[in-house]
Amino acid sequence: MIKNLIASALLVCIGYVASAQAYVQVTGEVSKTLKLYEADIAKMNKVSVSLTDKDGKDHSYTGVPVLDILNNAGVTTGKQLHGENLTKYVLVKCADGYQVLFALAEMDTALSKKTIILATRADDKPLPEGKGPFRLVVPGEGRPARSCFQVVEFIVKFAKD
Amino acid sequence: MRNSLLIIIGLAITTNTPTPLPLSYPSYFGNRIYIPADNPVTVEGVALGRRLFYETKLSANNRISCATCHRQEYAFTDGKPFSTGVDGTLTKRNSMTLANLVWVRNFFWDGRADGLEEQAATPLTDEHEMGQALCKSAEKLQAAKPYPALFKSAFGSSHITAEGIINAITQFERTLISCNSRYDQYLQEKYQPTPSELNGMTLFFANPNPEKQVRGAACGHCHGGPKTFNELFHNNGLDSMPGDAGREGITKQPTDKGRFRVVTLRNIALTAPYMHDGRFNTLEEVVDHYSDHVQSSRTLSIFLQDNSNTTHGKQLQLTAQEKKDLIAFLHMLTDSSFITDKRFSDPFKNK
Repeated sequence: MIKNLIASALLVCIGYVASAQAYVQVTGEVSKTLKLYEADIAKMNKVSVSLTDKDGKDHSYTGVPVLDILNNAGVTTGKQLHGENLTKYVLVKCADGYQVLFALAEMDTALSKKTIILATRADDKPLPEGKGPFRLVVPGEGRPARSCFQVVEFIVKFAKD
Repeated sequence: MRNSLLIIIGLAITTNTPTPLPLSYPSYFGNRIYIPADNPVTVEGVALGRRLFYETKLSANNRISCATCHRQEYAFTDGKPFSTGVDGTLTKRNSMTLANLVWVRNFFWDGRADGLEEQAATPLTDEHEMGQALCKSAEKLQAAKPYPALFKSAFGSSHITAEGIINAITQFERTLISCNSRYDQYLQEKYQPTPSELNGMTLFFANPNPEKQVRGAACGHCHGGPKTFNELFHNNGLDSMPGDAGREGITKQPTDKGRFRVVTLRNIALTAPYMHDGRFNTLEEVVDHYSDHVQSSRTLSIFLQDNSNTTHGKQLQLTAQEKKDLIAFLHMLTDSSFITDKRFSDPFKNK
């Protein structure tokens, strides 16, 4: 009986830890749905980009190109990004409900000159609570309104109008 | 030609098709509305839904209706911190306003219901609220005139179902559009705000920037735009140790602890007490909170951190006059026609 109770308590604890890990998903027009935890993101290749933040100063952000994440989910990028695939968009959802929209072509460096990343570090430090663990960083924009905090999902869809 | 007309009239009579009811609202509200394809808003559905909204037969003790906790005179809230259910227990959270729901996707304070239909079923069946299974409600309505005829008119069948009850109520709720406040009249260039209201409006939307001598109350990030809400969840600094997990209870993510849905501020002067637990009785207390008493915690909204009208300040620190001006603007959001509109009133009282 006591063993069962301990086992149950352990399961509850394990369940809590498992459920408490932050992750980012890629869903929609994908060949496989992705769910990436911090450990998965940590294993991917990183790049650094500069962003002029709300404080008016330039900061260096390091993270994974979103294109790499989309490629891992089998999104139609590169040579596949033509014809009707050019009508696809990416809706980025954040933990607080904030949402920002991109044309898929904006995420693809074959068409766009900027590299959009899913950052995990700012100025060589982990992102602060409230912004991390995953922040979208979109270089070269007038306001950092699409460089949103606590990203939880990329949804790829066709525009159908 | 005459035969064709007769056939068309005959079809219209036999098919008994409900009449579509277009929703009317100003263009500045935008069209990001949510109406399921299988539950369009119709004249007949809304008429039935209005009656069901005020129908006490939908509760286990035949004494509570939706309108018990959502009273029109309070912009469809109930003026209490918590509401009493059929078993005498209090709800866990404050009754929410039902204004402008057609623009809302995530319902309840923690956003757990993805759509109005899912929301509506909850209080009807919750043992601590109206406490009656929908099949039992359908059975009671089936035996009560004039419901079978009203359901036939709205949905084509006099057989009353749980789905029909929910669909009718939500159709009615989608018509609860509040868009005739003095703020609307200002946006339509029909009202000139007082200097106090204008300053309050400026403060409401401005972010403070003491270096540039810009004063602000920074309400706009969450309550920006004419609808005065964005579909967001934030920890607004009520407690350093939130007693109610809020959004975390749904997502299981620690980053969501103490986060609650950003609500519309339309008719806010009518919907006291405030916050998910109804802790503030007046708008003055609410403004004091955001100005001077935001509590720091790990999940405090990033937009409420170190946002101040003084250099290196930790709180907004509005002046007494600025607080009054802000409240003057909040009163501009009151829509007195919304709370007296006969289309939304109790049909049982109008007999």
